[in-house]
Amino acid sequence: MAVKLIETGEKERLMELLRERLVDCGWKDEMKALCRAVVKKKGRNNVTVDELVHVITPKGRASVPDTIKAELLQRIRTFLVSAAL
Amino acid sequence: MSPKINAQISPQPCPHLAEFRRTSTKPFLALHSCLRIKPPGGRAALRRDPDEVPRCGACGLSSPSRLYACVTCAAVSCHSTSADDSSHAAVHAASMPPGHQIAVDVDRAELFCCACRDQVYDRDFDAAVVIAQTAASTLGADPPPAIPSSHPENLRKKRRVDYRPWAPDLRERALIGSCSGPIAGDAADPSQDLPRGLRGLNNLGNTCFMNSVLQALLHTPPLRNYFLSDRHNRFFCQKRNNGDGDGGAAGKRNGGNNGNKNARICLACDMDAMFSAVFSGDRVPYSPAKFLYSWWQHAANLASYEQQDAHEFFISMLDGIHEKVEKGRREPDSEGNGDCCIAHKVFSGILRSDVTCMACGFTSTTYDPCIDISLDLEPNQGVSNKTATATSNHSCNGEADCMNSSQYCGTSTLTGCLKRFTRAERLGADQKFFCRQCQVRQETLKQMSIRKLPLVSCFHIKRFEHSSTRKMSRKVDRYLQFPFSLDMSPYLSSTILRSRFGNRIFPFDGDEPDASDELCSEFELFAVVTHTGKLDAGHYVTYLRLSNRWYKCDDAWITQVDENIVRAAQCYMMFYVQKMLYYKATDKQVAS
Repeated sequence: MAVKLIETGEKERLMELLRERLVDCGWKDEMKALCRAVVKKKGRNNVTVDELVHVITPKGRASVPDTIKAELLQRIRTFLVSAAL
Repeated sequence: MSPKINAQISPQPCPHLAEFRRTSTKPFLALHSCLRIKPPGGRAALRRDPDEVPRCGACGLSSPSRLYACVTCAAVSCHSTSADDSSHAAVHAASMPPGHQIAVDVDRAELFCCACRDQVYDRDFDAAVVIAQTAASTLGADPPPAIPSSHPENLRKKRRVDYRPWAPDLRERALIGSCSGPIAGDAADPSQDLPRGLRGLNNLGNTCFMNSVLQALLHTPPLRNYFLSDRHNRFFCQKRNNGDGDGGAAGKRNGGNNGNKNARICLACDMDAMFSAVFSGDRVPYSPAKFLYSWWQHAANLASYEQQDAHEFFISMLDGIHEKVEKGRREPDSEGNGDCCIAHKVFSGILRSDVTCMACGFTSTTYDPCIDISLDLEPNQGVSNKTATATSNHSCNGEADCMNSSQYCGTSTLTGCLKRFTRAERLGADQKFFCRQCQVRQETLKQMSIRKLPLVSCFHIKRFEHSSTRKMSRKVDRYLQFPFSLDMSPYLSSTILRSRFGNRIFPFDGDEPDASDELCSEFELFAVVTHTGKLDAGHYVTYLRLSNRWYKCDDAWITQVDENIVRAAQCYMMFYVQKMLYYKATDKQVAS
């Protein structure tokens, strides 16, 4: 199923949709601010991408609005139905 | 992590990358054939075969968060971020002989060092990816014009001069004392709580379009500083003109207008006179008759007692100031640089437009100077204007569809308009563009962005619609929300290109590193020109923000208003100034 999701390009579209929504609701700005705070605290030269992702990921996961999750879930459902036919 | 990738402060390469570069002869050659660009304008990804679904070699998962391909042996492994967790990419790097640390993200085509666990940047690699993305077809005869060769770092010229405080020494203080008097009307003035420079302008017969723009210009910080610091002295300017004109008969200021007219008209001189009058401390409404007369001379087609469009006036008068200075100096300065005259120094920016052919991926880039940005109001449901039909054309692709729906709900905002202005727009079948590479007209993708921000951004909202099919004009009365502080960085070319190409060290926009400077991209609102009424019978009013209070300038009357009134107003033109130049503190000092 996952393969089908990728092959049809649906995954790409979903990613694009998610990206758009997260920017719209300010989530991206929020994450950017968090990253900045972390980098400032640790010093610009002592941060790696991995550390940053590690620190930010839990916060980011938690703060995705429920409406966006619901919308994506809905899209995936519709895809599943149409793919099964 | 370097925060300024486009500003070309390149991060130190990590030791592993340096070692890798040293030992391998053709480091990224194998990768080149794997670069896949999703159809025009898309991101770069790496696939050995176009339909390949990459999986982690160790666990077989195809969609963990990040997948990396080792640049030495092409083994694909997943990578999890938690430092204690096992990462197959890191295991791969550790288990192999040295040289397998550098990997490339298969979905972004960005380099990663598995030993340092950090993103790394390589100039050659990034350049190759960008070129592949720009000319998606490698057969391209023309070299992509948008890509300048990578500049050495020392080319980053420092344009800003450090600030040095100035205190007058004894001699200077004596000069100040002897050559200037206190400005009248300071004490015992009933209106002394008003900031300096607030003075009503009399309506000279349907001239509120002029008054509203002039009020905004009179309080444009860089323009105000220019004229008040005597950089354009009207007496000198007249003298010089008389010198190379008919030589003498004209008086100092008012005389000589009937002589040779063309030499005498200088809108900048009239601006200078107006600045002196307005900032003199006198609160009696001022009549900009002389200015109006000069402007009529300049723009003869608009010379009548009819109501004009404020935006048209704005363009025409800046043009007038520019033309005069150009004539006076005869310097072959290109307009785009914005170094020619005060009007262009303050207001001119550069727009970049990229037109990408949907068939071959060839992109042509053009740069256009602009002195303001005209924005379409976002279309409402059921409104059948041109933009609405244009957007519905490509609602077949999911992306544009969801964008539209998100914009329809809620009120329109200025940021929404800017987003529309800078988003990639597919030009439909009816407006095909000639592609230089295909040599035929093709469907194209067009995207605008701002290459260089002006000191003062003027946004003009297209409220007046001219429909050529129905041969009529109408005004759009829809409300538009605007922020008091605006961050322009999302609309800059550097940001837009970065989202198109990913994070790379690559001089996307050539020689203008300062343009992407964060400091410069923050703007503060200082004037709003509003229009009420209909197309043919309306009234312009300006709201000014001085020392964080709002004042309503309605021709001769000036009143302080609450900011909520301003927020609710129907904006027509908005003036934003770079935050750096918006001296909140000094404004207050001057006012007190």
